[in-house]
Amino acid sequence: MKQIALYGKGGIGKSTTAANLSAALAEMGMDVLQIGCDPKRDSTRMLMHGSWIPTVLDQVREGREASITPDQIVFRGFRGVRCVEAGGPEPGVGCAGRGIIATFQLLERLDSLKGDVILYDVLGDVVCGGFAMPMREGYAQEVYLVTSGELMSLYAANNICRAIARLAGRVRGRCRLAGVIGNGAGQAREEPLVRAFADRIHSRLVTFIPRDPIVQRAEINRMTVIEFAPDSAQAGVYRSLAKSILENRNLVIPTPLSMDDLESLAMEFIPA
Amino acid sequence: MTLNPLPWSSFRLEGCTLTGGLSVTTEVTDGVTIIHGPAGCSQHNASLIHATLLDHDTPHLLRIHSSDLDEVGVIFGGEGALAACIREAAAGDPSAIFVLSTCVVQTIGDDVGGVCRRDWGVPVISIPSSGFLGGGFQDGMRNALIALGDLAGDRVEREGGITLVGEKNLEDDVEENFREVSRLLALLGEKVRLRFVRGIRGADIPEISRGRLNILREPELRAVGESFAARFGTPYLDSFPVGLSGSLRFIGETAGFLGVDPAGALEEERAFQDEALAGFEDLRGERISIGPSSGDTADPFAIELVSSLGLLLSEDGVPLPLPSPPPVGTGGLVRLLHRWRRVLHA
Ligand SMILES: Nc1ncnc2c1ncn2[C@@H]1O[C@H](COP(=O)(O)OP(=O)(O)OP(=O)(O)O)[C@@H](O)[C@H]1O
Ligand SMILES: [Mg+2]
Repeated sequence: MKQIALYGKGGIGKSTTAANLSAALAEMGMDVLQIGCDPKRDSTRMLMHGSWIPTVLDQVREGREASITPDQIVFRGFRGVRCVEAGGPEPGVGCAGRGIIATFQLLERLDSLKGDVILYDVLGDVVCGGFAMPMREGYAQEVYLVTSGELMSLYAANNICRAIARLAGRVRGRCRLAGVIGNGAGQAREEPLVRAFADRIHSRLVTFIPRDPIVQRAEINRMTVIEFAPDSAQAGVYRSLAKSILENRNLVIPTPLSMDDLESLAMEFIPA
Repeated sequence: MTLNPLPWSSFRLEGCTLTGGLSVTTEVTDGVTIIHGPAGCSQHNASLIHATLLDHDTPHLLRIHSSDLDEVGVIFGGEGALAACIREAAAGDPSAIFVLSTCVVQTIGDDVGGVCRRDWGVPVISIPSSGFLGGGFQDGMRNALIALGDLAGDRVEREGGITLVGEKNLEDDVEENFREVSRLLALLGEKVRLRFVRGIRGADIPEISRGRLNILREPELRAVGESFAARFGTPYLDSFPVGLSGSLRFIGETAGFLGVDPAGALEEERAFQDEALAGFEDLRGERISIGPSSGDTADPFAIELVSSLGLLLSEDGVPLPLPSPPPVGTGGLVRLLHRWRRVLHA
């Protein structure tokens, strides 16, 4: 079983990438479980033809966690991909991070964390320990950073390297950086910049996904690109990402850059 | 973390702000205290206070409710659980409801003050606390005293008498100390009008604005004295009397605040002290040592007492106990001397 987690700046394309990745893996015959770790609960929506599935924390909120069964929180989407959304509180109240921890405890109790590949799609701003849950012992060993060439996106990715390095240094800390997934923002010389960033943190660029309007068209039609436009070039990119990830054995403890180094790296590629 | 450093006194294992807050709020006998947080925080603190009261043979029923916050409350916010708990407590028609907050509700950011400010039909007072995050016992006690002042309203009708502020409800000698202070005040013809807060009803709280002078239990409560001075214009003396000369000074300072002549009272108290010390003439010349009760030198009150009695301080003398906090007034010294005699003549 392969457990992977996608982290990156808010809005950078983690959920889009995750859903297409799951779809591509399912096409290859894999048993895939995708878990959205975000109160927004929009991670798996495109796999579910646009429907909002009930969340794990909805059940907990209703006081049903004692009698809960897997079929109330795990839903089959495109090509049988099993979809779970953690859910969480309304913005501004409670503690969403604690919600993620409770979700993991529940999924574990229900013995639902299984399959060929488990994919954790974590919200953009890893603001507290709860959102580092997927990187903890026993969950995703392989972390992928999703980033564009924008400085703020690289900055967020670099910060997550710090979290990985810290967790990896713990006793029994198994979490490693498995690679960088570039998701284009349509910037000039973007791919070389993201590749250089990946090298500098001692990882590598796994795949660079270009920015393509087909993504929005698929979204409007409530589908992943894999389902909506299976023969498109973009679908091909997601398939090759899936293949690279399955074959990837390159797991490292990254070396985060200082802010100065990060800025001067960006300067080399972005014209002032 | 430097934002909310724990007070130095936390090593005294007195508990967190909840314990300090409860030591005040549970003395409003027709009020109810809600601890907003997990039930365990209420259990733990209630049993701590109950055990102490039992130890002093003064157990009484503590009216404490818990909002009984659980995992769902932590994840989705605990304001609903607090509101439900206030509603239930209000149904019992208490004179007031006091709300203390635990570490966890502070951590998840519940707007406790906002919930308390709704119209509940009874006054609901949020006491800044936040469990251990808000500090220690002393902080909780101080914040509770200040917050209870909110129930007094803004109208000040000065009538006279003395208010005792912040008696240590959990200390062994609380009643003896009260009697001693009352005795000294009586020498000046003054009376205690209100014990803020000890065994009072909610309706008594507005009395806080009516006395002529507030006397704080100890200087750590100065912030409370300042708060009431600003709100009600009441001056304060910052401590109960400590030591022989300290007791005389207490009389002099109180008289100063009240604008009366202390000469007669001072003379009476000096005579009282002389007579009290004469009763311990048998101790004169004993070689003793006294350890520091706090800080690294013995308290000045103890040094003064030792020299007045003609005891000889020496490192290899019989070690004598010094209580913390120090004894109150001349009466407190007499009780201490009885203890010393038992040790020396054991
Ligand atoms: N390669 C791409 N080409 C074009 N549009 C894209 C691409 N990747 C993502 N998008 C668009 O970017 C938007 C944000 O993507 P997405 O919701 O996947 O981001 P996210 O990282 O999951 O955000 P959050 O941190 O809020 O969960 C979406 O509307 C999506 O259609
Ligand atoms: Mg997302």
